Amino acid sequence: MKSLNAAFREDSDQLVSLQKHLRFDHVSDGQFSLAWQDFLRPITDGVEGIRKGALVRWYNTNTFYYTPIIKDEIRSDGKAVLRRIEKRHLDSGSSFKVILPDPLTLTELADDRFYGNKEKLLFAFADNVLREEVRRLSKSGVKYIQFSSPALVARFREPPLSRDELKQAGEAVGASLRGSSARSGFHTFFGDASPYIPWIFDSIPTDDIGFDFSQTDPESLTPSKKGIIAGVADARSSYLESVGEMERKVAVIAERTGSRSITLSPSSDLRYIPREVADAKLKRLSKLREKLEDN
Amino acid sequence: MPKLFPAQEIGSLPKFSWRTKPFRDTPLSDADVATAKLWGKRLGVEGTGDLIRILSRRKGFNSAQKKKIVEFSLLYAIRMEERAGLDLVWSGEQARTEMYETPVSNIRGFEFIGRVRSFDNKYWRMASIRSRPRYNNNYHLEEALFTRKKATRKIKVPVTDAITIMAWSDNHYYTSKWANKSIPPSERSFNARREFTLELSKIIRKVIRELVDRGVQEIQIDIPAATQYQSEDDIKLVVESFDETTKGLDASFSVHSCFPPRFGYSILFPHILEMKKCDRFSFEYGNRDGFARGIDDNSRSGLSDLRLFKEYGYDRGLGVGVIHVHTDLLPSAGVVKDRILYAAKMTDLSPEKLFVNPDCGLRTRSPEVAYKMLNLVTAGAKKARSELDPS
Repeated sequence: MKSLNAAFREDSDQLVSLQKHLRFDHVSDGQFSLAWQDFLRPITDGVEGIRKGALVRWYNTNTFYYTPIIKDEIRSDGKAVLRRIEKRHLDSGSSFKVILPDPLTLTELADDRFYGNKEKLLFAFADNVLREEVRRLSKSGVKYIQFSSPALVARFREPPLSRDELKQAGEAVGASLRGSSARSGFHTFFGDASPYIPWIFDSIPTDDIGFDFSQTDPESLTPSKKGIIAGVADARSSYLESVGEMERKVAVIAERTGSRSITLSPSSDLRYIPREVADAKLKRLSKLREKLEDN
Repeated sequence: MPKLFPAQEIGSLPKFSWRTKPFRDTPLSDADVATAKLWGKRLGVEGTGDLIRILSRRKGFNSAQKKKIVEFSLLYAIRMEERAGLDLVWSGEQARTEMYETPVSNIRGFEFIGRVRSFDNKYWRMASIRSRPRYNNNYHLEEALFTRKKATRKIKVPVTDAITIMAWSDNHYYTSKWANKSIPPSERSFNARREFTLELSKIIRKVIRELVDRGVQEIQIDIPAATQYQSEDDIKLVVESFDETTKGLDASFSVHSCFPPRFGYSILFPHILEMKKCDRFSFEYGNRDGFARGIDDNSRSGLSDLRLFKEYGYDRGLGVGVIHVHTDLLPSAGVVKDRILYAAKMTDLSPEKLFVNPDCGLRTRSPEVAYKMLNLVTAGAKKARSELDPS
């Protein structure tokens, strides 16, 4: 019987091949690894000052993560994420993308027993952990860094952040990216981002801003020079959107934002549906791209 | 006089290899048969000679033999719980694939679409609802009747609720149905969830009604997904679904939930207290608690949510999860006792209303660890009783 590690490697290789075959601009490894068992795990397991706490539900899903307990000054050697990435993917000739939790999500999900202040923890994640990670990834050949921020929009029982808080979350993202030459994105999902429009475009200093259009109405968008990550394929459902349906949404996005760079994408990561369904969604996005290019 | 801190299991127990291999067409080894003998003796299971004779075939079991293997598996689970000293027992879901796959395999309208990772290396086989769900057969009757006949203690039957089946499924049919309505996306998703859930509630009520008609007196409604969708409307739907499921049924009902998001159980309050027929809630707490000794707030910070019950004047039953089930790392019986006494202090509930249990089902542990956990629960409860009444 092949080892579990080998099975994960095979899954990951297949996913990278599929994305290359579909001519994706950036490819990712799907985080299939025994060392990447929940989205936060490289940070929870690999950063000084953090230990693994209780098993807790990940937003509105049937998936779970171990709470990062902050017990001391947090500090990363910059390799917590890199050591979980296969070198052959970095060297494969494609633009390799790594997806990380943004400072706000890490701060909100952590159990802080050291800093005693949300702002201090936010910038500790940005300055002491994520910046080191991003720099090291960028130096190693990663071409695209995406920060995922469910925390910004998946606020089922809490009000949206104020404009000042949004600005601060953006400053922490900026601090995380300092010294990196990779292109960057900031993707929001599991919730409606419209309460942050238009301020999100100026507050978050990434090249691209992403939206989950299964939860955010594209009509709520406003003009922006930023790139848009258009989450037009619902990553929480096996319902396979037709090219026409997605094309209509993209037309609204283009018309409302005037953006010259629209990246077609699932609404969130695809770990919440079976692999076969996820692959079908990627193929459908590729068809959409072909259609848009033909036009 | 009612027992103080009665003990219960939550649902599942691990399956022995001699239970699973015949259904995967994998031949049994000497070790598998030896395990059946060893545990049969250890748990005082009656009639194991018949089981050993069947297992000695090693492979190629016919359906009558497979049925017998499942029945013995139910019996081992019942005896394990009784031998550990539990007061309220169940047959450990030994006849079920697991709590989700069994119901959706037996309700019409579902199609399995693949596996999804829940955490670590735990996956579930996701089904997609492709048409209106319809009752097919009573998927719990046989195991419930067998358990009732064999158990020497009071039994409860865990039944997976509608919210959980909805939340763990791909809601293809209802999402498509609501897709083109001109309402905000969040409203569309909620309406799709609600319609699916309430259809399922009716089917589950039919399953339970037959169990009750055939003499089952206590049902545990399993709602691990009670905290999955977290808006106030979604929590109200959890209550609506429970009331719909239990409507017109004359039995005792409890509710189990576990592993909430970072807010803990507070998002369920106060709405869940409005569930009309719920006599007891059983929640997971051990997962979040440390191993320090003591019944002060610092030592027992993982149980801080229990204050909610006192704050809202709750006076029915409560099952407190005192052992984290997704690790082999065990607390001492002293720590378990401290957790129980802290729960009594925090809730002001009288000790006969305060049940103790593992956080959740034990199916992810080995039989050895699961048995240790059950024994720890009862050992902790015994110590807590002694502390309240040293005589």
